[in-house]
Amino acid sequence: MKTSKSTKTISAIIIVAFLAVMVFPFFWILVTSFKPGEEIFGKTAFQIIANNPTVQNFKTVIEKGILDSIKNSLIVSLVTTVYVVAVSTLTSYILARCHFKGKNMLMALILGVSMFPQMVVVGPIFNMFYKLDLLNSYWVTLAYSSITLPSATWIMVAHFKRIPISIEEAAHIDGCTTWQTLWKIIFPVALPGVFTCAIMTFISAWNEYLLTCTLNSDKMYQTVPVAINALRTQFSILWGEITAATVVVVIPTLIIVLLFQKQIVSGMVSGAVKE
Amino acid sequence: MKKRITAKQAAFLLPLFLLLAVFAIYPIITSVVYSLFDYRTNDQTVAGLYTGSNFNAPLFYEDCDYSVWYLGDELLVLDEKDGAELQGIMDEITALAEPYKDTKEVVKMSSKDAEAMQTSIADIRTRLTDIFERNGDVEFYNGLETQDVLFDEIEGCFINSNFQGLEAYKQLLRDTRFGKSLGSTVLFTAVSVFFELCLGMGLALIMNKAIKGIGIVRTTALIPWAIPTAVSALMWSYMYDGSSGIVAKVFADLGFIAAPEQMLLSAGGAMTAAILADVWKTTPYMALLLLAGLQIIDAGLYESAMVDGATPVRTFFSVTLPLLKPSMLVALLFRTLDAFRVYDLIAVLTGGAQGTETLSIYAYKLMIGQSNYGYGSAVVLAMAVCVAIIAFVFVKVLGAELISDD
Repeated sequence: MKTSKSTKTISAIIIVAFLAVMVFPFFWILVTSFKPGEEIFGKTAFQIIANNPTVQNFKTVIEKGILDSIKNSLIVSLVTTVYVVAVSTLTSYILARCHFKGKNMLMALILGVSMFPQMVVVGPIFNMFYKLDLLNSYWVTLAYSSITLPSATWIMVAHFKRIPISIEEAAHIDGCTTWQTLWKIIFPVALPGVFTCAIMTFISAWNEYLLTCTLNSDKMYQTVPVAINALRTQFSILWGEITAATVVVVIPTLIIVLLFQKQIVSGMVSGAVKE
Repeated sequence: MKKRITAKQAAFLLPLFLLLAVFAIYPIITSVVYSLFDYRTNDQTVAGLYTGSNFNAPLFYEDCDYSVWYLGDELLVLDEKDGAELQGIMDEITALAEPYKDTKEVVKMSSKDAEAMQTSIADIRTRLTDIFERNGDVEFYNGLETQDVLFDEIEGCFINSNFQGLEAYKQLLRDTRFGKSLGSTVLFTAVSVFFELCLGMGLALIMNKAIKGIGIVRTTALIPWAIPTAVSALMWSYMYDGSSGIVAKVFADLGFIAAPEQMLLSAGGAMTAAILADVWKTTPYMALLLLAGLQIIDAGLYESAMVDGATPVRTFFSVTLPLLKPSMLVALLFRTLDAFRVYDLIAVLTGGAQGTETLSIYAYKLMIGQSNYGYGSAVVLAMAVCVAIIAFVFVKVLGAELISDD
């Protein structure tokens, strides 16, 4: 189809406008984070360059332990990623390769769990953790499975299905057990898929707010999304510190997106788009 | 090629089963059970799921102890005969309470035992009241009122079942706050998903044509999607702030709102703010899913359409849209469900004020805020039913394909 010059121009304008809208909040947060407290209010509130730029906001939030919450987030997200990837690999290998009674039921169950409102599990899990004395601990990572496991399994099934079954049959004839076939033959081939799954799981664990906010009220175990919101309630509205904290915590996400955007897009669409 | 699953293969599924059983299925069933009880952890008499008679032993022991202690004062002002009788009553109370001295929790009790105990307590109370009334002219230290308060509480220690069947669900129908939050949730979902679909579709169509610059657009689009919702909501709450928020100021200058303060503090403003922040964050997701759907459409079809003289609009509705339908429905389903369950965004942005209280927010306030697990669970399950209806409509009526076993 030929594209006329005017359509091209309109497209370009829309794209630029879109980029501007997407980027503007980040830009504005960055601008504010360098402003001293008094310049955030009043006449200078909407000025782009601060009259007296300062890094005091960053110093303060680091003193207030924003790095500790990043550490907590890293611990929780990495542990979640490792066990969720392991469990979903095992499951989806069977789901992609074997045909058995009740398989559709199992798929529907996994899908159903991913659709259920997360709020349903929060109350009972809170009570469970309270009774087992697990509140305010890293055990919250296990509770993340209800959010991350279904989608991780979904991504892995889509990837396993793309691997030709013939190499597996060859392995089988050569006398490999199911475990050996999965570990030595399929897993290396499926590594890109595994990686996609890991990235997606990591992001959703990193972004989790509701469970941590409910189960880990202790500052020592707060993850980034919770800790950054605690800044606001504790000290009313110190926007300088909040924006500085936002800049600090957005950086890890930014790095992940820049490095792994192909995997992220592939993870987003697997399951949703049939090839 | 249907076959039975071997034990070894089943073992591969075991970890998933365990995790889902503990962290998804058990909580869901528990929620259903909670919703059948008047279960509130901040109220001693309904702080558990009681089907039979229960006895609040610690409170009972404490009240009896107080009662005897206060009665000890009265001994000093009574004559010998009444004093002796009072001493006898005190001993009886102590004897009743003694077995529960070290019990730390609510205990089960057969209804026969409970009845027997209740009878003897009622008897003690009558005799005690008698003594006080007989000595109306005596100036007591604490008096009958103190004892009445204590005995009322003692009688309350016998907890009856708090099973209430479907009462909570009936309450839902009468609860206007529930109705309002359902309304806000539907409004939020419908408006934000509509805008996301329109904008996402436009972007996807443009990105599908333009080869140059697609990389940078994709990267940029991924960032809002990838950052935590709680953080993006915080960013927006700064920009909506009445005194230093740039978006609030711009909207006020353009005349959309009367004053910057109105952005989060007026009903229409707060909902608009929430929808805007949601559209900003999730339009890219929609666009990328639709783009992936567009990219698998055979280019030859467009050429045929062009050869047949179809206008671009006609091509879009007759070629693109039907072929995009499967991907679009799945994307729409996921987005609709996500929007319907929205919690983080609203919790951070408005906390549910100004008509933005969605079902998740209401349920959370009930359960975690007010410790009202029974009714909170009913709200949350009503929400789950809505989610199931949405999924059903998408899958059965519109034909979204989620599970394909090939």
